[in-house]
Amino acid sequence: MPTTTTPTSSHAARTFWAALAVGSAIDLAAGWLLRQPGYSPNARILFALLPIPLNLVLVALIVRRIRQLDEFLRHVHLEAVAIAFLLTGVAVFVYSYLQQAHVVHPLNFGIVWIFMLVFYGIGYVIAARHYR
Amino acid sequence: MKTRLRVLRAEKEWTQAQLAEAVGVSRQAIIAIENGKYDPALPLAFRLARAFGKNVEEVFVWEDDSLQEK
Repeated sequence: MPTTTTPTSSHAARTFWAALAVGSAIDLAAGWLLRQPGYSPNARILFALLPIPLNLVLVALIVRRIRQLDEFLRHVHLEAVAIAFLLTGVAVFVYSYLQQAHVVHPLNFGIVWIFMLVFYGIGYVIAARHYR
Repeated sequence: MKTRLRVLRAEKEWTQAQLAEAVGVSRQAIIAIENGKYDPALPLAFRLARAFGKNVEEVFVWEDDSLQEK
Protein backbone atom coordinates (compact mmCIF):
# COMPACT_ATOMS: atom_id res chain seq x y z
CA MET A 1 0.00 0.00 0.00
CA PRO A 2 1.18 3.59 -0.60
CA THR A 3 2.74 5.73 2.13
CA THR A 4 0.61 8.05 4.23
CA THR A 5 2.36 11.36 3.36
CA THR A 6 1.41 12.67 -0.05
CA PRO A 7 3.37 15.32 -1.99
CA THR A 8 0.25 17.52 -1.82
CA SER A 9 0.07 17.44 1.98
CA SER A 10 3.78 18.19 2.41
CA HIS A 11 3.52 21.04 -0.09
CA ALA A 12 0.53 22.43 1.84
CA ALA A 13 2.50 22.14 5.10
CA ARG A 14 5.49 23.96 3.59
CA THR A 15 3.18 26.71 2.28
CA PHE A 16 1.57 27.07 5.71
CA TRP A 17 4.86 27.28 7.62
CA ALA A 18 6.30 29.73 5.09
CA ALA A 19 3.21 31.96 5.36
CA LEU A 20 3.36 31.69 9.17
CA ALA A 21 7.04 32.69 9.21
CA VAL A 22 6.53 35.65 6.88
CA GLY A 23 3.33 36.66 8.71
CA SER A 24 5.10 36.57 12.09
CA ALA A 25 7.97 38.64 10.68
CA ILE A 26 5.50 41.24 9.36
CA ASP A 27 3.68 41.28 12.74
CA LEU A 28 6.97 41.89 14.58
CA ALA A 29 8.05 44.52 12.04
CA ALA A 30 4.71 46.35 12.38
CA GLY A 31 5.04 46.32 16.19
CA TRP A 32 8.60 47.62 15.96
CA LEU A 33 7.64 50.39 13.50
CA LEU A 34 4.76 51.51 15.75
CA ARG A 35 7.16 51.90 18.67
CA GLN A 36 9.43 54.23 16.67
CA PRO A 37 8.85 58.00 17.01
CA GLY A 38 8.64 60.43 14.10
CA TYR A 39 6.09 58.74 11.82
CA SER A 40 2.91 60.56 10.75
CA PRO A 41 -0.51 59.34 11.97
CA ASN A 42 -1.31 58.05 8.46
CA ALA A 43 1.93 56.07 8.37
CA ARG A 44 1.10 54.60 11.78
CA ILE A 45 -2.33 53.49 10.53
CA LEU A 46 -0.61 51.83 7.57
CA PHE A 47 1.83 50.03 9.90
CA ALA A 48 -1.06 48.88 12.11
CA LEU A 49 -2.94 47.45 9.12
CA LEU A 50 0.17 45.93 7.50
CA PRO A 51 -0.27 42.42 9.02
CA ILE A 52 -3.86 42.01 7.81
CA PRO A 53 -3.34 40.61 4.26
CA LEU A 54 -0.95 37.82 5.17
CA ASN A 55 -2.91 36.97 8.31
CA LEU A 56 -6.01 36.55 6.11
CA VAL A 57 -3.97 34.23 3.89
CA LEU A 58 -3.05 32.24 7.01
CA VAL A 59 -6.72 32.02 8.03
CA ALA A 60 -7.60 30.73 4.54
CA LEU A 61 -4.79 28.14 4.68
CA ILE A 62 -5.90 26.93 8.12
CA VAL A 63 -9.55 26.65 7.03
CA ARG A 64 -8.47 24.73 3.91
CA ARG A 65 -6.36 22.40 6.07
CA ILE A 66 -9.29 21.79 8.45
CA ARG A 67 -11.49 20.85 5.47
CA GLN A 68 -8.85 18.33 4.38
CA LEU A 69 -8.82 16.60 7.78
CA ASP A 70 -10.73 13.37 8.23
CA GLU A 71 -13.91 13.33 10.32
CA PHE A 72 -12.14 12.06 13.44
CA LEU A 73 -9.45 14.74 13.46
CA ARG A 74 -12.09 17.42 12.79
CA HIS A 75 -13.91 16.06 15.85
CA VAL A 76 -10.75 16.31 17.98
CA HIS A 77 -10.00 19.84 16.76
CA LEU A 78 -13.60 20.89 17.40
CA GLU A 79 -13.25 19.80 21.03
CA ALA A 80 -9.90 21.59 21.27
CA VAL A 81 -11.45 24.80 19.92
CA ALA A 82 -14.40 24.50 22.32
CA ILE A 83 -12.07 23.99 25.29
CA ALA A 84 -9.88 26.91 24.18
CA PHE A 85 -12.92 29.17 23.71
CA LEU A 86 -14.35 28.38 27.15
CA LEU A 87 -11.04 28.52 29.04
CA THR A 88 -10.16 31.83 27.35
CA GLY A 89 -13.52 33.19 28.49
CA VAL A 90 -12.80 32.05 32.06
CA ALA A 91 -9.29 33.53 31.94
CA VAL A 92 -10.53 36.89 30.61
CA PHE A 93 -13.26 37.05 33.28
CA VAL A 94 -10.79 36.25 36.05
CA TYR A 95 -8.30 38.77 34.65
CA SER A 96 -10.97 41.50 34.49
CA TYR A 97 -11.91 40.84 38.14
CA LEU A 98 -8.24 40.98 39.15
CA GLN A 99 -7.99 44.23 37.18
CA GLN A 100 -10.94 45.65 39.14
CA ALA A 101 -9.13 44.61 42.32
CA HIS A 102 -6.07 46.55 41.04
CA VAL A 103 -3.93 43.43 41.23
CA VAL A 104 -2.95 43.38 37.53
CA HIS A 105 -2.35 45.93 34.76
CA PRO A 106 -5.05 46.62 32.10
CA LEU A 107 -5.46 43.68 29.72
CA ASN A 108 -3.31 43.66 26.60
CA PHE A 109 -5.18 42.16 23.61
CA GLY A 110 -2.02 40.28 22.63
CA ILE A 111 -2.27 38.34 25.89
CA VAL A 112 -5.75 37.09 24.94
CA TRP A 113 -4.27 35.62 21.74
CA ILE A 114 -1.59 33.87 23.81
CA PHE A 115 -4.30 32.53 26.17
CA MET A 116 -6.16 31.13 23.16
CA LEU A 117 -3.05 29.45 21.73
CA VAL A 118 -2.07 27.88 25.05
CA PHE A 119 -5.63 26.71 25.80
CA TYR A 120 -5.98 25.34 22.27
CA GLY A 121 -2.86 23.23 22.86
CA ILE A 122 -4.24 22.04 26.19
CA GLY A 123 -7.62 21.31 24.58
CA TYR A 124 -6.00 19.32 21.78
CA VAL A 125 -4.04 17.17 24.25
CA ILE A 126 -7.19 16.55 26.34
CA ALA A 127 -9.30 15.63 23.29
CA ALA A 128 -6.59 13.45 21.70
CA ARG A 129 -6.04 11.54 24.96
CA HIS A 130 -9.80 11.04 25.40
CA TYR A 131 -10.11 9.23 22.05
CA ARG A 132 -6.86 7.26 22.31
CA MET B 1 -21.40 0.26 18.98
CA LYS B 2 -18.98 -2.67 18.78
CA THR B 3 -16.57 -3.18 15.95
CA ARG B 4 -14.74 -6.17 14.50
CA LEU B 5 -12.24 -3.90 12.79
CA ARG B 6 -9.20 -5.13 14.72
CA VAL B 7 -10.01 -8.80 14.04
CA LEU B 8 -10.66 -8.20 10.34
CA ARG B 9 -7.48 -6.15 10.02
CA ALA B 10 -5.46 -8.89 11.71
CA GLU B 11 -6.92 -11.47 9.30
CA LYS B 12 -5.75 -9.37 6.36
CA GLU B 13 -2.41 -8.71 8.12
CA TRP B 14 -2.78 -4.98 7.54
CA THR B 15 -1.27 -2.36 9.81
CA GLN B 16 -3.40 0.48 11.14
CA ALA B 17 -1.52 2.85 8.86
CA GLN B 18 -2.27 0.69 5.80
CA LEU B 19 -5.97 0.51 6.63
CA ALA B 20 -6.03 4.27 7.27
CA GLU B 21 -4.42 4.89 3.88
CA ALA B 22 -6.87 2.52 2.17
CA VAL B 23 -9.94 4.36 3.46
CA GLY B 24 -8.44 7.86 3.43
CA VAL B 25 -8.30 8.71 7.13
CA SER B 26 -5.61 9.23 9.74
CA ARG B 27 -4.10 6.39 11.77
CA GLN B 28 -5.48 8.10 14.90
CA ALA B 29 -8.98 7.60 13.49
CA ILE B 30 -8.42 3.85 13.06
CA ILE B 31 -7.00 3.59 16.60
CA ALA B 32 -10.00 5.44 18.09
CA ILE B 33 -12.51 3.30 16.13
CA GLU B 34 -10.77 0.03 17.03
CA ASN B 35 -10.72 1.01 20.71
CA GLY B 36 -14.42 1.84 20.62
CA LYS B 37 -13.72 5.48 21.51
CA TYR B 38 -15.14 6.89 18.29
CA ASP B 39 -18.08 5.81 16.15
CA PRO B 40 -17.50 6.63 12.48
CA ALA B 41 -20.10 8.38 10.35
CA LEU B 42 -21.90 6.25 7.76
CA PRO B 43 -19.66 7.08 4.75
CA LEU B 44 -16.52 6.07 6.65
CA ALA B 45 -18.25 2.98 8.07
CA PHE B 46 -19.13 1.92 4.49
CA ARG B 47 -15.59 2.59 3.27
CA LEU B 48 -14.14 0.50 6.11
CA ALA B 49 -16.55 -2.34 5.45
CA ARG B 50 -15.83 -2.32 1.72
CA ALA B 51 -12.07 -2.31 2.38
CA PHE B 52 -12.65 -5.77 3.87
CA GLY B 53 -15.24 -6.83 1.30
CA LYS B 54 -17.94 -6.94 3.98
CA ASN B 55 -21.29 -5.32 4.74
CA VAL B 56 -21.40 -2.62 7.40
CA GLU B 57 -23.33 -4.96 9.74
CA GLU B 58 -20.48 -7.49 9.55
CA VAL B 59 -17.98 -4.89 10.76
CA PHE B 60 -20.04 -2.78 13.17
CA VAL B 61 -22.58 -4.14 15.63
CA TRP B 62 -25.19 -1.86 17.14
CA GLU B 63 -25.75 -2.74 20.81
CA ASP B 64 -28.53 -0.42 21.98
CA ASP B 65 -30.95 -2.79 23.74
CA SER B 66 -33.77 -0.23 23.71
CA LEU B 67 -33.99 -0.51 19.92
CA GLN B 68 -33.91 -4.31 19.73
CA GLU B 69 -37.12 -6.15 18.89
CA LYS B 70 -38.83 -7.81 21.83
